[in-house]
Amino acid sequence: MSQKVIVNGKKVKGSDGNVKKALTPGRVLYLICAYAVLLFIVLVSVGPIVWVIMSSFKSNAAILGSPFSLPDTFNFDAYGKVIGQFSFGTYALNSVLIASSSTVVAIVLLSMSSYVIAKYNFPFKNLIYVLLTVTLLVPGHTKTQPIFSLIMNLNLYDTKFGLFLVYLSSSIASSLFILRSNFASIPKELNEASEIDGAGFFRTFWQINMPLAKTGIFTAGILMFLGNWNEYYFASLLTSSPANRTLPVSLASFNQAFSYDYTRMFAALTLVVLPGIIIYMLAQEQVQASVAGSAVKG
Amino acid sequence: MARVQYSKLDRRHFPKIYLFLLPTLILFAMFYLWPIIQVLFTAFTKWDGFNSPKFDISNPFVNFLQLFKMRGFMPSLKNLFWWSLIAMTLHVGIGTLVGFLLAQKLKGWKFVRAVFMIPNVISSAAWAMIYRFIFNKDFGLLNGIIRTVNPNFAVNWFYESPAAFWAITFTWLFYAVIVTLIVLADLMAIPQELHEAAEIDGASGWKKTLKIDLPLCRNSIGTGVILSITSRIAMYENIALTSRGGPGNDTMGLAVLLVKSINDYNYGLANAIALMMFVFGILVMLLINRVFRMNDPVY
Repeated sequence: MSQKVIVNGKKVKGSDGNVKKALTPGRVLYLICAYAVLLFIVLVSVGPIVWVIMSSFKSNAAILGSPFSLPDTFNFDAYGKVIGQFSFGTYALNSVLIASSSTVVAIVLLSMSSYVIAKYNFPFKNLIYVLLTVTLLVPGHTKTQPIFSLIMNLNLYDTKFGLFLVYLSSSIASSLFILRSNFASIPKELNEASEIDGAGFFRTFWQINMPLAKTGIFTAGILMFLGNWNEYYFASLLTSSPANRTLPVSLASFNQAFSYDYTRMFAALTLVVLPGIIIYMLAQEQVQASVAGSAVKG
Repeated sequence: MARVQYSKLDRRHFPKIYLFLLPTLILFAMFYLWPIIQVLFTAFTKWDGFNSPKFDISNPFVNFLQLFKMRGFMPSLKNLFWWSLIAMTLHVGIGTLVGFLLAQKLKGWKFVRAVFMIPNVISSAAWAMIYRFIFNKDFGLLNGIIRTVNPNFAVNWFYESPAAFWAITFTWLFYAVIVTLIVLADLMAIPQELHEAAEIDGASGWKKTLKIDLPLCRNSIGTGVILSITSRIAMYENIALTSRGGPGNDTMGLAVLLVKSINDYNYGLANAIALMMFVFGILVMLLINRVFRMNDPVY
């Protein structure tokens, strides 16, 4: 896009077609301030994480003595010990198992409902859609006791399945927004053609529409997985034994588990934090776009 | 109201359509509808979780009266007030400022946008732990920085008054990426013609920002205010994994009291707190909607 901007009476255009403003003293001052703010934002966002990772390679004495120093060597001993001693494997496996199974099942179920809402007219459609999306306004914590009692009454306290059930419902509204608009953008004629060709309702959904909606499914899935992978509140309330503990909950028991061996604590923290960052990096643009989108609709 | 026309195709598929909706509706009933009904009714009863809830017509507000006598309650309301105020001014201000800066598309803006999101994709429990280390008295990052100027500095942030309140505040204050992203989306949608018209009228860069861009972003800024205050109402991990509400009740929050009441088998009280959180959230939403005139058309 090329546009004209008049700075001090001169029209200046950059080589790439973007507008470049002339460097007046005022502009230089503005740029310095702007970059100072942006640098600060980058520092507070990644500084803490970089510090944690750095510290995980330092000895206990170095952590206590000189918090800023760079590690002398990159030795992964602490990581080995965390994974070996601290049932870290169990917690990680629980987290992967619960977060991924609940995400996959919920996305299939929510795709089904989003699909019929996007493609068909039926009685009570608007009521159902409003009810489902208004859930965005209910803060999760207000439902604590009813959900706690529900899981207790189903005899699912301290089970992975109990947590799976709770996580299924974790992001109905925001997933519905993403999936519905995705299905709605698939041409309706495709459904008519496929029904004429003799494909039934289920095949039209599963073999025609699901593959075409894959970007939305991917985005909703990533967002939901991140949410469930990071969830602490219900996980800490609904599980008690180490066999069913997820990674975020295990953080709370670090102090006792490592008896103040800070190197290992930082290594464990790194191991908990990194997967989320990596998954986010894979789908950065989509995550940002849909976070902004569903917030505005809510 | 206009009657909806159902096509032949629609009618033929009605049973299957409802079949497709059924699982989602069951989840909705189990985890939203029924819990909300339960909270609404049992907030006015005495309930220990074993016996059935007891409603006393002469004293329907028994839980709320008990709440006001609870030692942590008034501090948590006071904290909520101050945190909300800080959230809607500084926190939303930072988010909006960064949004406006990113909209200039200076070199590296995409990098900043991507990096700013990272604290939000990390478990809030892990983030609270990281901050517990940053504010550690002996080897924490913050005291380390301060000691380069004042070598004898030793504040135990999360465990001293009044430092603890500010330590909790700093765990969320700067992380306003949601506000930034929605403001940015609004800024990108402003038609270029508006700017060109203003330039012809002789408006400077600053004037354009203050008189055109800022008012046109009022919906996203209003949404940002609502979201940031409702996250303060529900804030749990930042407190529970750091100061646990202490010292004294300096950093107490409603969600921490709620969990405590469940652990004390006082389910009626827990739901009274939950109802309060819910009502606060709705009030904030209605109020901010009014103040920012969010229902009026922007253009």
